[in-house]
Amino acid sequence: MITTITIFFPLLGVLLMLLLRNADERTVRYSALGIAAVPLLLVLYVYFAYGGDLREASALTQSFDWISSLGIGYRVGLDGLGFGMFFLSALLTLIAVVASWDIRENPRQYFAILFVAELGMLGVFAAQDLILFYVFFEITLIPMYLLVGIWGDENRRPAAIKFFIYTFLGSTTMLAGFLALGMLSGPNFSIEALQESGALSRTAQVAVAAPILFGLLVKVPAVPLHSWLLDVYVSSPTSTNVMLSGVLPKLGTYGLIKIAVPLLPQGVEPFLPFLAIFGVVNIIYGSFVAFLQPDLKALVAYSSIGTLGFILLGVASGNAVGINGAVMQQVTHGLYSALLFILVGIIASRTGTRRIDEMGGLAARMPWVGGLLALGALAAMGVPGLAVFVSEFMSIMGGFEAFPVWGVLATLGLILGAMYLLFMLQRTIFGPMTLPTLEETEDAGPVEMAAVVPLAFLLLILGFVPSLLINVQRPAVEAVLVAIGGS
Amino acid sequence: MVTAQAFVGLIPEIVAFLFSLVVLMVGVFAPRATGLTTGLAAFGALVTFVSTVMLLALRFEGSFFGDGYVVDDFALYFKLIVALSAFFAVLAAAHWAGGTGDAPEYLNLILTVVVGSMLLVSMRDLFGIFVAIELATIPSYALVAFDRRRRESSEGGMKYLLTGMIASSILLYGIVLIYGTAGSANLTELSGAFAGQVSPVALLGLVLLVSGFAFKVSVAPFHFWTPDAYQGAPASAAAFLSVAPKAATFAVLLRILLEGMPEVAPSWTALSAVLAIVTMFVGNLLALRQRNVRRMLAYSSVAHSGYILTAFAALQGAGLQTAVQAVLIYSAAYAVMNLGAFFVIDLVGEETKSFNGLFRTRPGVALSMAIFMAALVGIPPFSGFFGKAWIIAAGAQSGAVIVYVAVAALVVNSVLSVPYYFGIIRNMFFEEAVTDAGRKERAVALKFSVYALAVATTLFAFFVGPLAALAGTSGLF
Repeated sequence: MITTITIFFPLLGVLLMLLLRNADERTVRYSALGIAAVPLLLVLYVYFAYGGDLREASALTQSFDWISSLGIGYRVGLDGLGFGMFFLSALLTLIAVVASWDIRENPRQYFAILFVAELGMLGVFAAQDLILFYVFFEITLIPMYLLVGIWGDENRRPAAIKFFIYTFLGSTTMLAGFLALGMLSGPNFSIEALQESGALSRTAQVAVAAPILFGLLVKVPAVPLHSWLLDVYVSSPTSTNVMLSGVLPKLGTYGLIKIAVPLLPQGVEPFLPFLAIFGVVNIIYGSFVAFLQPDLKALVAYSSIGTLGFILLGVASGNAVGINGAVMQQVTHGLYSALLFILVGIIASRTGTRRIDEMGGLAARMPWVGGLLALGALAAMGVPGLAVFVSEFMSIMGGFEAFPVWGVLATLGLILGAMYLLFMLQRTIFGPMTLPTLEETEDAGPVEMAAVVPLAFLLLILGFVPSLLINVQRPAVEAVLVAIGGS
Repeated sequence: MVTAQAFVGLIPEIVAFLFSLVVLMVGVFAPRATGLTTGLAAFGALVTFVSTVMLLALRFEGSFFGDGYVVDDFALYFKLIVALSAFFAVLAAAHWAGGTGDAPEYLNLILTVVVGSMLLVSMRDLFGIFVAIELATIPSYALVAFDRRRRESSEGGMKYLLTGMIASSILLYGIVLIYGTAGSANLTELSGAFAGQVSPVALLGLVLLVSGFAFKVSVAPFHFWTPDAYQGAPASAAAFLSVAPKAATFAVLLRILLEGMPEVAPSWTALSAVLAIVTMFVGNLLALRQRNVRRMLAYSSVAHSGYILTAFAALQGAGLQTAVQAVLIYSAAYAVMNLGAFFVIDLVGEETKSFNGLFRTRPGVALSMAIFMAALVGIPPFSGFFGKAWIIAAGAQSGAVIVYVAVAALVVNSVLSVPYYFGIIRNMFFEEAVTDAGRKERAVALKFSVYALAVATTLFAFFVGPLAALAGTSGLF
């Protein structure tokens, strides 16, 4: 019941935003803030009340028939695989509300659409039914399209529709796979029951796994399928970037961990080496292309693609360390990329440019922004002491165990990452001040700090005490391993 | 044997017929009372709907008039769709028809189409089917040509009439050939002629029959009348014709094929698959090129006929039951979203440009149209998603390669359709408003229909369970 309330609470926000027709901007912003805080508080309550083993907490699950003739049900519940992302979706929505303090045009509608997106994201990470998962998966799509298309920069319209068509192609293909899987094993669409039964033959599993993997990899995106990403990331307003990079790719990777691997162990098996290769290609390609970007936002976007590769590698490994790393990397990737995108937004709004070669000496005028940018970049490099290190290291360990060559190459990616990120830092926050606009610039204000500091704080905490997250996810990861091993 | 029972089974049709007469009579004696005629016609559609619900609730079933007329859950389900679409079409027509001064005639024609379509889904005799189809089609020629102030209307009506006549003769020719080989026109007795060694004449009859139906439901390559007819017709008529008679025609085709010719299923499923693939691509590719929203929706309705035919192709193997359900669910889902989309044209205008900036000037209408467009693409949680999902599910169960190909084509076509449906959304949400926008009309009933259908399209997820339960008991397999 708590889960259902948390998922659908944002609807109240949509309603409130529609009702506040004549309210001033201040009321709108603070009510949006209040609405966005509630799901986060509920998730924190769940963490402290049931964090030990989420699967045993029956208060979190809910299940009833929806379309009984096809075995489709409304089934929600939280487990260790989804909990981290469930938390992150709630957190990043709150941070997106704070970070959109600069949205001047129709904030009411902006927040209403953002809340619809939040509903979809929370739902995906709690759904325990294939069709329900798909429904929530798609609910995020139109809000994102509208957020980019209405509030983005001058290139927003083609970017928005390109994003929509690509990901819709992926998700419709995935839907066909889901329906085939559910109809051929029953019909039954309960994820839990499908994981236990494993009714399909090996050939059928492969045939069903192929469209599902394709759809999920487009969403991630894995590198040959990524061409929609750059335009939409660069065109988005900052707070949309937070959701686009922090949560949306994880819809794809979470689908791999939650559905593709445990439900179709034999079907996915032949594709696992390719998944590892995709991961390594993402890491290396992302780093190389990021190196060449003159635009700070594009650099962060490619860095984000790159570090998503570690999740793919960890999933492909099929062992405990790798999958634990992958599940955790989903969260840590969201934390650091959201942090960097918000900082880029702050810098761009202050200096009026995003070009790296025009910047320099930011730290002198904006010590907090500069310091946090350095922290974010260090996190992205995988420096020990920050949360990304733990998850990337685990993913590489797992990957190395399963595919030694790809594991080594992934490590190479780490070095490349360090190169372009340090180079970026050197040219932006250090060195002489080259921008004339920088002379009068002030450091981040209290509202902006409120958006970034929690992210930096979590990166540090999870870097030193990763068990806060890993202990929650471990039982669920073990269940996935049983499903793979039991095949 | 004509019994009292038979007349109970006919109550919905009798109600609709009586109201069509009353509406006409009111027009004779009180020609200026537009409100009264519209109210009566809407009330008539509602009573028809309620009486159909009553028959369902009483679990009324039976076969009457020498097995020529059957009342079962399957027929009643489609009668619900027809009656409800008529209700909304009448409400949506109120404002426009009042302006022409010919409201009684217009509403009478709509109710006559209702009678024809409702009889059609209950017919179990090929000649009865032909008569019912004509009863539904002949008034629709007049409906398309009804808008005398626009030249496109007469043009569309004329084209529709000519092609419709050809289609009817092809259909009749097919029926005659089948009758000749089978020795009976009753569906249950047909199955004998289509068992074992099937004569080539009977197969030719089948092909002609399917071609005739293909004309009626605008399946490519027999679709070319559709854009002109829907562009010319008054929006409420185009909306109604693209939903109610079409659903009924698909339903009776399903009945003929499943009850009359189950033995030759491999032939007609393969034929359906090929027609489905061609129709989907033709509809969507041509819709992409349109600048006029009516024509776009006309081609979109061609594409949607292709989607439904994919369910026909899946009527085999383990997918049989799911495929029948898919046709039923899809028809209901399509009814709410397509009616709404056509009605919005009546409110806003038929050029894509007239939708520019609608979100700023009329947010409620823009939001409703966005919902209809997203539903037509097949995005959850809107109604169209469930229709498509059901078809794909049936296809997955069917186990035939050609059906897999058709399902893959359906997936590709869903994506192909995104640019033109979302072009409207883009215009409404991203573009600046045109200067003469914001014209407010006092078309209360029309707006009510649009909003009610938008709500139904959005909350379809809640109806789909009961609808599926109803579809599951409809005894066509």
